[in-house]
This record gives sequence, C-alpha cells and structure tokens, in this order.
Amino acid sequence: MKIIYLFLRVTLPFLLFLTAACDRQEKKVSHNTPEKLTLAVGGEKAEGFDPTLGWGSYGNPLFHSTLLKRDADLNIVPDLATEWKLGDHQLTWTIKIRDDVLFSDGSPLTAGDVAYTFNTAATAGGVHDLSNLEIAEATSNTTLILRLKQPDITFIQHLITLGIVPEKLHGSDYGRHPVGSGPYKLVRWDEGQQMIVEANKLYYGEQPSIKRLVFLFADEDTALAAARAGQIDVLSIPSSMAGQDIPNMKLHVVKSVDNRGLMFPTVPNTGKKTPAGLPIGNDVTSNVAIRKAINYAIDRESLVAGVLDGYGRPAFGVADDLPWDNPEIRFKDNDPERAKKILETAGWIDTNGDGICEKNGINAEFTVLYNAKDSLRQGLALAVSDMLKPVGIKAVPRGENWDRIKRETHTNVVVYGFGGHTPLEMYSLYHSPGPEPMYRNAGFYSNPVVDRYLDQARKTTSFENSIPMWKKAQWDGETGFSVLGDAAWAWLVNLDHTYFINQCLDVGKSQMEPHGHGWPITANINQWKWICN
Amino acid sequence: MLPVIKFLLFKTIRLALLIGTVATLSFILVSNSPIDPVDAYVGDAILKISPEQREIIAQRWGLNKPPVERFLAWAGQLVTGDFGVSAIFNEPVLSVIGKRFVTSFWLMAFAWSFSGITGFCLGLSAGAGEKGLLDRGIRIYAYTMASTPTFWVGIVMLMVFSVFLGWTPTCCAWPLGMSADQATIWQRLHHLLLPAITLSLVGTAKIAIHTREKTIEAMHSDYAIFARAQGETTFGIVFIHTVRNVALPAITLQFASLGELFGGAVLAEQVFSYPGLGRATVEAGIRGDIPLLLGIVLFGTVFVFTGNFIADLIYQLIDPRMRNRAGATP
Repeated sequence: MKIIYLFLRVTLPFLLFLTAACDRQEKKVSHNTPEKLTLAVGGEKAEGFDPTLGWGSYGNPLFHSTLLKRDADLNIVPDLATEWKLGDHQLTWTIKIRDDVLFSDGSPLTAGDVAYTFNTAATAGGVHDLSNLEIAEATSNTTLILRLKQPDITFIQHLITLGIVPEKLHGSDYGRHPVGSGPYKLVRWDEGQQMIVEANKLYYGEQPSIKRLVFLFADEDTALAAARAGQIDVLSIPSSMAGQDIPNMKLHVVKSVDNRGLMFPTVPNTGKKTPAGLPIGNDVTSNVAIRKAINYAIDRESLVAGVLDGYGRPAFGVADDLPWDNPEIRFKDNDPERAKKILETAGWIDTNGDGICEKNGINAEFTVLYNAKDSLRQGLALAVSDMLKPVGIKAVPRGENWDRIKRETHTNVVVYGFGGHTPLEMYSLYHSPGPEPMYRNAGFYSNPVVDRYLDQARKTTSFENSIPMWKKAQWDGETGFSVLGDAAWAWLVNLDHTYFINQCLDVGKSQMEPHGHGWPITANINQWKWICN
Repeated sequence: MLPVIKFLLFKTIRLALLIGTVATLSFILVSNSPIDPVDAYVGDAILKISPEQREIIAQRWGLNKPPVERFLAWAGQLVTGDFGVSAIFNEPVLSVIGKRFVTSFWLMAFAWSFSGITGFCLGLSAGAGEKGLLDRGIRIYAYTMASTPTFWVGIVMLMVFSVFLGWTPTCCAWPLGMSADQATIWQRLHHLLLPAITLSLVGTAKIAIHTREKTIEAMHSDYAIFARAQGETTFGIVFIHTVRNVALPAITLQFASLGELFGGAVLAEQVFSYPGLGRATVEAGIRGDIPLLLGIVLFGTVFVFTGNFIADLIYQLIDPRMRNRAGATP
C-alpha cells in the first residue's frame, strides 16, 4: 500500500501535468440530479447492518434510530426517548419513548422492540458491550426499564448508539436486510462494492433533502481515482493527500478527538509478568520527572505543522475539547529549559558527556514503538525523538506490527491513538488496570485518588453530574493523571479529518469526530443540502 | 475400462489426502497466527470493550475452546459438508465463497483464456522468427511483464485508462448506484475489462516466454529441418509441425497456472475494488476469520487440483502417444 501511496504522491502530479496539456473539454459534470449522492467514506460492516452486533456503535446507524443522540456540539438530545431518568441507586433507567414512530415496513416501534434490542445485544457477542445490563423490560407500549448490574453512568452511551430493531423481523439474516426507523433505508448492498440507500418516507424526523445515497466501498487509491473521474461527491482522504486539487470538489476539514500520544509504562521493571507472560515495567519512564520533561520538551505545534501538514491541533489530554475535558490541564510546551530543570532537580544529569542524562547508572533512554504501517505515527515518533535529544533523553523509534507491539507494550513507550465520544475511554486508560490490561492502561498507571474520582464519576446520578468527576481525575488541584499531576501519557496531536466534497454540497456543521476517519461525517446526513441549481 | 477407473480412483484418493493435509497444515498455521480475531473485530471500540464482553465475543466464535478441540469440531462438520460460519461476514462460509466466486469466475475466465491464446500466439510468432524484430519486441514485453507486480500494472492501467482517458470505470463490477440485474451485460463487461486485461498482461508473458522456447526447440528439430529440406515454408512448418508439439506443454502450463491466476486475482481485485474471492481472502487473513480462510484454502486446493486434473485428461485426449500407453498412470 505504501508503494501505491508513494506512486500517487510522486508520480501523480507529474502525470497530471502532462495530461493537462491535452485537456479534455467534456469533463463530466458531477451530477445534475441532486437526489443522488455518491459517497466514498467507508463504513461497510461486513457482518451486516445489525445494531445488536455493533452496527452504528461508531458513527451513526443511518437505518435505525436511537433513544438519545448527540447534536453537533455533542450535547445529549432526545431521539426516540421523550423522558429518561436514572433511579433506584443508579441501577434503573426508566425511559418513555415516542408513540408515533414506525419502522420502514410500516409496523409501529414499541417499548417491546427497544427492550428486545437491548436484551439481544447484551448476549449477541458484538461490539456493544452491554455486559452490565441485567435485563430490559417494557412496562407498556411506550415505557421501558433498563436494570443494570452495577451503577455506571457511561451506560448512557448505549442509549445514544444502539439502534432499535423490530423484534418480529430480527433474525440471523437481519443484518443483510435491515429494517429500522432511521432517516434512510437500505435498498441494496453489493458486498465489498457498494450500498444504495434511499430516504425512509416513514421517518418521524425531518425528511432528508437528498433522497438517494450510494456508498462506495473501495480502497483509498481507487476511491481517489473515482473522485478524479468525477464519480464521487464525498470522499474521505488522509490529510497527507489533502493538498491536491480535485476538479469540482472542495476540501472540508473536520476537527476530531482522534488523538495520538505516547503511552508510558509507569512502573519499574521488577521482572514481574502478566498472567499471559508479558513482561511489565520500564525503569526510565517509571520516573515521573522523565515523563514530565518529555511532555514539556515536545513542540506540539511543530508536530502539527510538520507531520500533519497543518491538519490538526496540539493534544494535551485524551478528550480535548469534549464536555468532560478539563481546560486547566493545558500547559506551555516547547520548553526545553523547563524540561532540563525538571530532570536536573530529579537527579537526571549527564555526567559522562555523551549527551544523555543518567541517574544511578541508568541512561535516560527508551524505545518508542509505533505501528510500522502507519507513516503518520512513524513521523511522530521520529520527530519526538529529535525534540528530546537536546534535553538529554534518548528516545529510539522502532516500527513494528501490532502483534509484536502487543507483546512489548508493557515495557516500552508506544504511539497509540484513541479518542471517542464517551468518557469510558478515560476510565479504561487511567483506572488501575486488571492483571491482563493489554490496551486498557498498558502502562499499569495507578493512583488511588484518580481511581476514586473515576469510580465516583461512573456512579453519579446523571451524566452532567459526572463531568466534574472526570475533570478532577485529570487534575484536582493537587494530583491527577494529566501532565500537572502524574503525566501518565504524553499526548501529542489531535488529527483533523479531511474530506473532499462536491462544490454544490453543503454538509452543515460536522460533529467533532471520534477516532477513525470516514463514516462519522454522515452523523448529520439528513441535514445535508444541495446548493446549486 | 479398468484403467480409467484405476486412474480416477487414484486421483480421488490423492485429492482426499491432499485436502486432509492442506486442512491440517492451514489450521496449524492459522491458529498460531499472532492475529487476535477479537481485537481485529472490535477495532476502534477496543477501550469500550470490557474483558467480560471479550469473553462473550470469543464464545460466539468458539475461540474459548482449545485449538485441537476446535479443529476436530471443524473437521467433523466438514465431513458432513458444513464449512462453518464466517466470523467477519456472519454468514455460512459456503455462501460467502459462492457469492464471491461468481464474480471472480468471470474475471479469471476472461484473463485465463485471453492470456492463454495471446500468449501462445505471441510465443509462437516470436519463436518462429527467432532473433527477428518481432521476437525482440515480444521478448522485451514478456520480460518486463514477467518481472512487474500485478498490482502495480493495475494502478498504472487505472491511472491511464480510467482517470486520464476516462475510457474505463475506476472500480467495481458494475456501474455505481446500479444493481446487478439493472446492469447490462455490456456494462458488466466494460467493468471487467481493465482488471481482466491487467491480469492477462502478466499471465500472457509467462506463457509467451515458455512457448517461444519450445517453438525454437521445435524449429531446430530434425522433422522441421526435414520439412524445410522438402521445400516447406516457415509458415507451413510452424502450423503443420510445430504447433502440435508446442501445444502440449503450453496447455499443461496454462492449466497448472490456475494457482497463480488465483493469486493474481487477489491483487487485481484489491486494486480495482472488484468484490471477488480475492478480496474476501485478504479480509479473512487480516482479521483472523479462521473458518472462512480455511474454506477458501480448501476451495483453492480443489480449484488448482481440478486444473491439473484437466491438464492430465487433455494430455490423454490430444496426445495419441499418451493414449497408447493406456493403463499407465501419468
């Protein structure tokens, strides 16, 4: 893939230049009919469009509607639900739903369907983790109760992402013939190739102005070629390739929490291993002074400019600019002097003149692992390594495949990327880990105060009430997992997601997108408008 | 009739043994692969999945059982004709293979016959006019193509014919936004054209080089020299004497190349987003879908075996010398 990419980057502009000479007059006008749009934004779910298996858990389920949803500013707003309330020591959600909703086959959507969806998803073994659900019960046609095993406010994410399926039509083949109550319905799906959808006339919300959508499922290179041939209206494209011009298309840049950062092993290597036999700990990065120095020394603005071609913004935490982000954790980076001072105070001094600090005979040296297939992560690892040299820290970048990285993740610094619309991610990354954490807190970070805030946050009575707790876990004035406190990670950048869209298309205000680029742009698709005649 | 039965029996036993071996070996390889299917499945949601949920997912695919037990269960099902359910497509393996193979079949059939015929003709004319201008041209073409990766040829073809010239579509098996039955046969052929030509360009090279060698050999043989001494023209020698002798190895090579065709199709389909078996294979491999991958491997085994089997049969049919040795297994 890398070769293809290089070919596109290097040879393409040259070939374009050549062919510009013999310009063709009759360049196809994209589409005269605004009723149909062709999108190349990925999103194919090979196992079918079944919400109980996880369709829609990322982005929106398109064919289905959910109890709640997030608006363009990520506020929680009602969709199917009219009232929702958490009670009984935070163990019971009581939800009232609209009584006027029909599935696209004309049958009514009842609380029974909602309960069925939740109960089925809990045991289906899909991407929705409903293992905390005791049972969902419909008490009338419009009221249902969700009983939880343990109090957990992050459960609300399932109310936002789990699309409701009709009980009587749901079966093993449902994913290939989904019927839901969303703004669009599936017309046909040619697996591995395309999907055609059209507006659902029975949709209870505002009718989408674009009646027919074709989703192309193709490789990046192929999709780009199709866009150049004038066949695509919305194309998701890596930011490294956003610098080009595509006839009749404009660049659309969306902010995201799709972050990249350095995970530090925060415990020393004492020879301990996980039950699966993976070694734990790193004697250099277990030192908080090292982790802070790295955070202050890095110049995030130049990472954005140099590695992301400007398509991004500096990252200071795992949830920058999301409602549960604590703005106090921002700090002035690109400050090598401060980094040096921190190292010196902690006893990391270069005594032998090799340019690398030592303490107790240990060099301030570690390996930074990154996924070798990902040129962006490679760029970040190399640039960070250069930035740390002047302060006396030797970071050795090494590209590996994921399976190798997984085996070495508890002993090395790793470039990871996360970012989602739920604070559950924060909990997974920073709460004291289980014996075999893998990606969930791979650095074995543990701080009882942070644990307490994170646990409290999950047990609060409403999502709004949980927000101060999430913020305190980052920094409460004395401690926290952010750089002001334990500096468990060094977050580097948040990517911008880049799209080429037809000049005649207005996609409105896009939501701040989660990790992963492509499908999430469809979150507000029923508000898209065609602005040319 | 006895020799025929003996021949078929021998082949059947061989196929059974082959399938058994391939199945066992592939299972050992796949289950030792470092890819964690659950990780591959949850993807971006990895932080939202608790260890309890991972258990549930593993259970759904039977991954919580030890490998030997899984293999025996799978093999037991296989004997009854049940290939299991693909983890990533959530659909029976046979139905996945069936759907995808239909699409791949036309691509492979086109590429295979096209490369066979043109490759043979090119090789024949190159060999007949050894060291001539035509020979040199064909050789340059063949050596270039034989050393070029299929996917690269694909990208170049895509750039030239689809993007710059706009003659061919950039992707897919039929026009975007249309359903398979709405698309006319011409539209489908139009979409098939570029991937098929890409695949045959490379295939042609191999058969051309091989045929050229054999033709030169035949042109220098005693019977060719004898014919020439009797006043036969080069054209006559080629068409009356050489073709017959060259055809046999060429046909063998062509049938034996079904395996490579399978591999080439994987790459070509990837480049042209042609939703055939090749793309399914790539998916199954990178996401650790053991039932599907094994299903495709077995399917491929039978496919290649059939190719060789047909070559053996054709040998018997077109070569009288083989027929006279009837009874001896080839």
